[in-house]
Amino acid sequence: MGIASPPLPSSARPMLARDADAMYWMARYVERAEHVARLLLVNANVLIDMGDLAPAMVARQWQSILTILRLAELPEANGDISIRVAQHLTIDADNPNSIVNCITRARENARGIRENISAEMWEHLNALYWSLRAEDAPARFEESPDSVWRSVMTGSMLFQGLTDQTLAHDQRWLFAQLGKYLERIDVTCRIIQTKFDILKASEQMLENTLRNIHWMAVLRSCCAIEAYRRNHVGDMDPFRVAGFLILEPDFPRSVRFSVRSALASITAIRSGTRGGVIDPAERILGRLDAQLEYAEIGEIVAEGLGNYLQRIQSAGHDAALAVQQSYFLL
Amino acid sequence: MFKNYEANGLFDEVFSPSGQPRPHYAPLVNRLKAAGYPAFERRRRMSDVLFRNQGITFTVYNDARGVEKIFPFDLVPRIVPADEWDAIEHGLIQRITALNLFCQDIYHGQHILKERVIPPELIYGAKMFRREMFGVNVQRDIYIHICGTDLIRDKEGRYYVLEDNARTPSGVSYVLENRVVMKRVFPSLFSEYRVRAIEDYPYNLLQCLKHVSPHHADEPSVAILTPGVYNSAYFEHSFLARQMGIELVEGRDLLVDKGFLYMRTTAGLRRVDVLYRRVDDDFLDPLCFRPDSALGVPGLMNAYRCGNLALANAVGTGVADDKAIYPFVPDMIKFYLGQDAILPNIPTYICAREADRQYVLEHLHELVVKSTNESGGYGMLMGHQAAQQEREEFAAKIKDDPRNFIAQPVVQLSQHPSLVEDHFEGRRVDLRPYILYGQKVIVMPGGLTRVALRSGSLVVNSSQGGGSKDTWVLEEEMVG
Repeated sequence: MGIASPPLPSSARPMLARDADAMYWMARYVERAEHVARLLLVNANVLIDMGDLAPAMVARQWQSILTILRLAELPEANGDISIRVAQHLTIDADNPNSIVNCITRARENARGIRENISAEMWEHLNALYWSLRAEDAPARFEESPDSVWRSVMTGSMLFQGLTDQTLAHDQRWLFAQLGKYLERIDVTCRIIQTKFDILKASEQMLENTLRNIHWMAVLRSCCAIEAYRRNHVGDMDPFRVAGFLILEPDFPRSVRFSVRSALASITAIRSGTRGGVIDPAERILGRLDAQLEYAEIGEIVAEGLGNYLQRIQSAGHDAALAVQQSYFLL
Repeated sequence: MFKNYEANGLFDEVFSPSGQPRPHYAPLVNRLKAAGYPAFERRRRMSDVLFRNQGITFTVYNDARGVEKIFPFDLVPRIVPADEWDAIEHGLIQRITALNLFCQDIYHGQHILKERVIPPELIYGAKMFRREMFGVNVQRDIYIHICGTDLIRDKEGRYYVLEDNARTPSGVSYVLENRVVMKRVFPSLFSEYRVRAIEDYPYNLLQCLKHVSPHHADEPSVAILTPGVYNSAYFEHSFLARQMGIELVEGRDLLVDKGFLYMRTTAGLRRVDVLYRRVDDDFLDPLCFRPDSALGVPGLMNAYRCGNLALANAVGTGVADDKAIYPFVPDMIKFYLGQDAILPNIPTYICAREADRQYVLEHLHELVVKSTNESGGYGMLMGHQAAQQEREEFAAKIKDDPRNFIAQPVVQLSQHPSLVEDHFEGRRVDLRPYILYGQKVIVMPGGLTRVALRSGSLVVNSSQGGGSKDTWVLEEEMVG
């Protein structure tokens, strides 16, 4: 067992391994809740537009949300599939990835490290938690699912803003960044992959208008519609959409941006705690970053988009495991 | 709002027997009357939201429904005039000084036993007497670094010490948060008073902890040890860590190697010099105390006895706040300091004594019986309110294990107005000031005023449905 490393400068004050773990998961769960909320909101809206035009798409669209969130089966029940999926993913206490459970776990993690986060962050997350756990929450959700999803999305955005603006950008902040971006890499890859899969399967069924609506929904699910339009002047080409979401260097929700941010976080953490030796998570993310930097969407499509995205996701998982082993499980 | 307000035959903190507000309360009473009920109710709701959103909660164990509760906050502040506080402060300093000398003596020369001031069997029979500490030198001979002493007032308004909490007294975070909320919700109330500040408590606590750091440390590394998020006082542990800017650790974050204590950080192991532990002795070190404890650190006592680690409070201070030792505190003060106790004790019957036990068993219906080592209002009998069957059960327990019980006459506690629905009613209060023993002794001005929110109830503990008030100690010049 390694004993007492030489004292580090106070600017690089180390943090408890358990606290780093909780910081990482707090950020990750908030990010996850935001994605779930946005997926549900976008999907509900797109179906208002296309539902009547292509009834066969409705069930498939809702199923795709479950696939993105790695939930294979919807619990047996009667009733409209859209309502059932929305409930299952928003307020179902038995679904570990429901919004309520994500926020609860984020808050549980935060509660264990209150001395590490700012009062503003805690109060904001705690208030969000109580708004979802309030007695009238199910009734409010039934009346207007939209406003509940929107409150979670803005809640997450505000939380991230508070994290950036009230916390010193030291190790604690870096672990939160790492959690957030690793989650974003994972969800974004799955959104692109799943949507391409259903689109391929039903390409013949769709007319042009519907295709455009569909691709716009994919961009909206990644909060990317406006950024995309500015870059591509509104041209809805599937491969351009994929290229933008995967490779765009300046858009904060693209895979490439997220990988680069995760890499920057782990590099800073490593140099503050270990000195000059590259650590395993950094190596994985560094390689991925280099690949994305020189990638070209035509080649990716030629290789097979599904495979390519799968490789990115595996690298993300490996990086997450490596972080856990190097920093949380001492 | 004060219509039909009754004194209930008790000492009332706010109103004199004539029904007029006492001078130091007059400005407050006028303000409250002028504000009226709707304004008051609005502020009460505001404070509820503040407490909930900030997560200022405690945990109740015997409640199956949800574990986190808001500590009920009573918006009417309690006011203590400067001269009254002066006497309390002197009394508390005297008391903690004597209690520390007592601990040092008990674990070394035992002069107080040799001189027969305290019967040795009471010490050796005390559950919290730690043989493991005998002959161990603690840093700077300080045992009780942090003490929370419960004070009550009788029908004449005289202050008494009800008990000393010399192990891990809690509640100070509520004192600090109550003041913050009070300032946000009712700033106008402060305008007519000069209230002594309490905000420097965390700073003083940190100085007090650094003071006992073992000499080898340059900049002491201080941490708080908590049993974890499910502990009833977790909020406070985390609050204090935040206020002092130190790490909040659990047993699993720590390990002992070659006689030093380390915490596991992202950069490897880092030494800990002072541990403000909020874990009971029993759970500190499975190699020394309870082997089934998962909250502690194997080898911790070894680091402690080597002098490489300071613990606050020291191990074994439970012998000083044992309820059967409590009756001897005035004797300790006499013995160690040659002074008379400034703050009197409540007369106490020690069931371990034949004559006392006999008296207690015959007078159960008019006594309060307490177990000597429980706290938080658990394990006690209010003889005058209990049913016959309850009293019989307690009588059997006393006969079975007399050392474990003491009894005291029912002290009626003073009352203070609390908002009940749309008007004020008297509710019983006590007061727990916090005392820090570092380079010098510092008493926080005020402390936690706990309120028995149920009408007629004498039990103020938060675990038994009590609430709390902001407590204002006034500067010499009352009006600002």
